[in-house]
Amino acid sequence: MKAGTKLKSAVCDTEVMVIRAANTVVDCGGVPMAEERPAERKPVNPAFAEGTKIGKRYVDDAGTIELLCVKPGQGSLSIAGVALKLKDAKPLPASD
Amino acid sequence: MTQVMKGVRVLEVAQFTFVPAAGAILADWGADIIKIEHPVRGDTQRGFINMGGIPVDPNRNPLMEHPNRGKRSVGIDISNPLGQELLYDIAKTSDVFLTNYLPSVRQKNKFDFEHIRKANPKIVYARGSAYGDKGAERDVGGFDGTAFWSRSGVGYAMSPAELEGPLSQGIMAFGDSIGGMFIAGGISAALFNRERTGEGVELDVSLLSSAWWAAGANIAQGLETGAMTRNAMPTSGGSARNPFMGNFRTSDGGTINFCIISPTGLIRDTFEHLGIPDAASDPRFADVRALIDNSKAASDLVVKAIGSKPFAYWRQHLKTMKGQWAPIQSLLDLTNDAQALANDMIVELEGDNGKPFKVVRGPVQFNHEPLKTTRAPQASEHTETFLMEIGIEWDRIEKLKAAGAIA
Repeated sequence: MKAGTKLKSAVCDTEVMVIRAANTVVDCGGVPMAEERPAERKPVNPAFAEGTKIGKRYVDDAGTIELLCVKPGQGSLSIAGVALKLKDAKPLPASD
Repeated sequence: MTQVMKGVRVLEVAQFTFVPAAGAILADWGADIIKIEHPVRGDTQRGFINMGGIPVDPNRNPLMEHPNRGKRSVGIDISNPLGQELLYDIAKTSDVFLTNYLPSVRQKNKFDFEHIRKANPKIVYARGSAYGDKGAERDVGGFDGTAFWSRSGVGYAMSPAELEGPLSQGIMAFGDSIGGMFIAGGISAALFNRERTGEGVELDVSLLSSAWWAAGANIAQGLETGAMTRNAMPTSGGSARNPFMGNFRTSDGGTINFCIISPTGLIRDTFEHLGIPDAASDPRFADVRALIDNSKAASDLVVKAIGSKPFAYWRQHLKTMKGQWAPIQSLLDLTNDAQALANDMIVELEGDNGKPFKVVRGPVQFNHEPLKTTRAPQASEHTETFLMEIGIEWDRIEKLKAAGAIA
């Protein structure tokens, strides 16, 4: 994969932009993602069915890869069976 | 949908509500708002744990959606020289620069008027502040609770003298949301001027001046007479000089407000609606002068009449009354008010987990059309896509990332 390119899910509408690339295969819904969507959708693996959220960034524990969700879907992202994590903003706590 | 600001780009380096709310209004009107956020922390309002004592879901945050709907978020560290250079590149593509950072921060991070003007000589430079961009306190920060409500005198005037102390603002981002609309108005006028003359201006709106404008009639009276009125304690009854001005309690504890400032021609209709038509023939109340002189006696009749029937009765029955009146209802009651809904005052955004998130539309509606807009962005959601859109190559994006200048 190459930074700046988009990967599409084989199981749902999910589409991600590769922000930080690594030489690895990203799965969505347990099925490898690719630049082209397959003609026929494959079933979602229930173990990876928590969904993706638009505008959110997903990273691995080692920080070698970063994906930006540009289209959400039902599958969730993983590498070699390990779920990717949300990279959320870390705002300072505030209250009224 | 009519988009009067279509084609206008606003570069917003701001957080909290006051100045971002101006960006939200302009976004509602069709402008392209690029909201710059800190690459790690985002807008400070993303960190609100409670609002009015009620816990905030970070994925469904009213303090983000209300002032940031319809925008794109780009994460830039504005203290990083490469981040500043990038900011200038975005400024070159923008029509308006919008900020609420303090003068010392604008200077330190080189995005003050002269820096942005150097990048784009025709840009409109709009500042929101607590107390104004001139004077000894120009570098002092503030919120609407401090500048708009407390220091302005508004909180004092709102609070009856009999209370132990002044009332607090009570509504989150109240002064901010009002003031944000003022900034949007100023920017619109500045863009109109630029269209005519080719020149961009700088403009300032402070929370203090927003409050003073809102209280301007009272302040003018105070400057003229030296006297300043304050709110009175709640009662059921008319004012000392006009029995048809005041709040009146219904039999079930609701409240009806009468505001018949100029009763000429309305006296009989009002008494008839109150179910006491004979009062209109009473010489003490038959014309406006007499009514003013006998306000207390007339007020007692109104109090008794309204107090004899429930709130729901009056809400329905007074609909045909010629004089002005209103039911006292809550902000939430208004969400079910047919008139508010008929005027499209609620807008649905795409919300987290597929459940719509509702916000209030801005106070201006064009061509009677309901507002269509998008949700507030996630922090830094559009960094890469926006930078590529303005022609920045991926190589530079990688370098900016490596330097920590962008998210």
